[in-house]
Amino acid sequence: MSNDVMIHASHLSKSFGSFRALDKIDFDVKRGEIVGFLGPNGAGKSTTMRILTCFISPTSGTVTVNGHDVFDESLQVRESLGYLPQRAPLYLEMSVLEYLRFAADLRHLDADMFRKRARSVVEVCGLAQVLGKEIRHLSHGYRQRVGLAQALIHDPPILILDEPTSDLDPNEKAEFLDYLKQIGQQRTVMLSTHNLAEVEASCARAIIISRGRIVADGPLDEIRAKSGRVRYVVSIQESAAGGKYRGRGAPPTKGEVEDALGKVPGVGKLTELPTDERAHAYELVSEQDVDVRPEVFQLMVDKGWVLLELHRDAQTLEDVFRSLTIGDERRNRTLTATTDEGEDEEEEESEEDEEDEEESDDADDSPAEDVKAAKGDVKAAKEERS
Amino acid sequence: MRNVWIIAKRDLRAQFNSPVAYVVLGGTMLLLGVLMFVLPHMAVAGVSIGGFWEIDRATLDEMFTCLPPLMSIFVIPALTMRSLAAEKGSGTLELLITMPVKDSEVILGKYLSAFISVLILLGLTLLYPVAMFKWPWQLGPLDWGPVWAGYLGCIFFAGAGIGIGLMVSSLTESDVMAFFITLGALVILYAIGSMVSVVRDWHVLGDAIAFVSFQSRYQSFARGLIDTRAVVYFTSVALLCLLVSFRSLESRKWS
Repeated sequence: MSNDVMIHASHLSKSFGSFRALDKIDFDVKRGEIVGFLGPNGAGKSTTMRILTCFISPTSGTVTVNGHDVFDESLQVRESLGYLPQRAPLYLEMSVLEYLRFAADLRHLDADMFRKRARSVVEVCGLAQVLGKEIRHLSHGYRQRVGLAQALIHDPPILILDEPTSDLDPNEKAEFLDYLKQIGQQRTVMLSTHNLAEVEASCARAIIISRGRIVADGPLDEIRAKSGRVRYVVSIQESAAGGKYRGRGAPPTKGEVEDALGKVPGVGKLTELPTDERAHAYELVSEQDVDVRPEVFQLMVDKGWVLLELHRDAQTLEDVFRSLTIGDERRNRTLTATTDEGEDEEEEESEEDEEDEEESDDADDSPAEDVKAAKGDVKAAKEERS
Repeated sequence: MRNVWIIAKRDLRAQFNSPVAYVVLGGTMLLLGVLMFVLPHMAVAGVSIGGFWEIDRATLDEMFTCLPPLMSIFVIPALTMRSLAAEKGSGTLELLITMPVKDSEVILGKYLSAFISVLILLGLTLLYPVAMFKWPWQLGPLDWGPVWAGYLGCIFFAGAGIGIGLMVSSLTESDVMAFFITLGALVILYAIGSMVSVVRDWHVLGDAIAFVSFQSRYQSFARGLIDTRAVVYFTSVALLCLLVSFRSLESRKWS
C-alpha cells in the first residue's frame, strides 16, 4: 500500500443480528482528498464511519487508517483522526472552552500547544463570541461548530465528519463548505451527507452507498456520466405572434415537429414540454455517448424551421443518486418489504426520509412514478385483505 | 492512567456543576443528623438508629449504622446513574470513545469520579466527631479506633456499591432506570442481612445469605473490627463489577 493511502477498507462487512448493514465494501481514500460519502438514510454511512473511528468493530474485512489497523492499533488510529459524530453530541454542561480543553487533554496537548491550536480553531470555526458559554445554551449551528473545533484541536491528518452540515443554516453551510476546502488542502476529509449540492460544492470525489453496498465511487464527473442518459431540450418556433416569421414557409405544426424529431438518429424518447402557443418544446433522451445536437441542427437547416433553444441537460448528481439508490426508496415504501431488524435504524431517521419524499415528489421523473406505483401496491394489498 | 484522571475530573466537574452533587451531599448530611440526634432510639429491620442522647455514650455507632443504608438508597445510585447511562443515551459516549482513550480508562475514570464524590461525603461526615468530641464541644472521651474502622468499612462498602452502580449504568441507557435498579440491588444486598437471624437454622442458605449480604459484611467494621474477609469480599465485588462494565462497554463493538 502506498504511503498516500490514508484510509483503506477492504471487504468490509458489518451485520447487526441478521441485518447486513455493510456488505463487503472496498474503498481507498488518499491524502489530501475530500470525499463525499453519500447515501440514503440507513444505507450504512454512519456505520462505516463508526468503524473507521473504532467505535464499533467490523464483522469481517480489514480497515487501516493512516497505516494502522482499526482493530489492532485502535489508539493510534484514533490519534490521527478528528471525528464529528452525527448531531454533535457534546457535554452540554461544559462551556465551549472547557470542552475544547477536555478534548485537548485527552489528546495530550500541552498548555502551549493548546493555546496555539485553540486560537486557530476558534478563529476558523467562529467561536470567539461563545467561548465562555455553556454548550447547552448554544444553537445547533454553534454546537456543530464546537464539534468541528474539537475534531480539529489536535490538527489531525484525517477528518471524519458525519453529516456536518445537517443543523446549519444556508449561510453557515456555505461558510462551512468554503472552510472545508481550505482545511482539505492538507488533510484527508471524509464527510457523509445526503445533500448532494454540498458534495458538488466541496468534494472532488464521491462514494455512493446504498443498502450496505458501494454503488458508485469516483470523481463526480465520472459518476455523473455513469448513468448514461443525456437529456436535450429543443424548442422550435410555432408562430411569430405578430412579428415577422424568420423561417422558410409556414411555421411547423406539432405533428410535423414530433415526426421529424422522432426520426433524428440517436433519439430514444421524446416528451413534449409545456409551453405557450409560440413554440413547440420537446425533451429528447439520447442513448449513451451519442450527441444528437448536430443532427437536430441539421434538421432545422433542412426544414427551414426556427430553432429557439437547443441545450444539453447534463445529468445532475441528484438524478444519478436517485437512479442508483432507487431500490432503497422502493423498499421503504412498500408494505410487502421484508421486515428485518436493521430497519430500526431507518425509522430513527424517518423525519428526514419525509423530506426526501417531498423532493422526489417534485421531480417529474421515475421516482414519482415509483411512489405512485408503491402507493398503488399498498392500496391493492389493503383491498385484498378486506 | 492520565486519561483516567482527565475523565474523572470532567465527571466530577459535571457532578458539581449540576445540583445532583449538592442535593446528595446536603441531603445525606441532613438525614444523618436527623437519624442520629432527632429520632428517638429504635430498631428498624435489625438496625438500631437514633437516640444519640438516650444512649449517653461517647460513640458514633449510630452514624456508622446509618451511613451504609443512606449510601445504598441515595448516594450511590445518584452518583453513578449518569456515569455511562446518560452518556450512552445522549451519544456523548461516541465522542468520548473515539478519542484516543482505552475503554478501561473510561470505566476507571467514571468509577474514580464517583468514588471521590463519596470520599468528599465521608470527609464531610468527619465534622460530626470533630465538632462533638474535639472542638467546639467535648461531649466525652471518644475512642477513635472504631471511628477509623467505621470509615474504612464505609469506604469498602462504597467501593463495592459504586461498582454495582457503574455496572448497572453501563447496562442501561436511561439514568432514571439506572438509579432505581442500583437502588434496588443495593437495598436487597443490604437488607437480606437482616434475614440472617431469621434463617440461621437453614444452615446452607443462612450461610449463603450471610456471605452475600453487605450488611453482615459491614457490621464488623461498624463494631471497630477490620475483617479481612469483608475487605476481600467488597474488593472482589468491585472488581467483578468493573470487569462486567468494561465488557458491557466493549460489547457495543459487536452488537
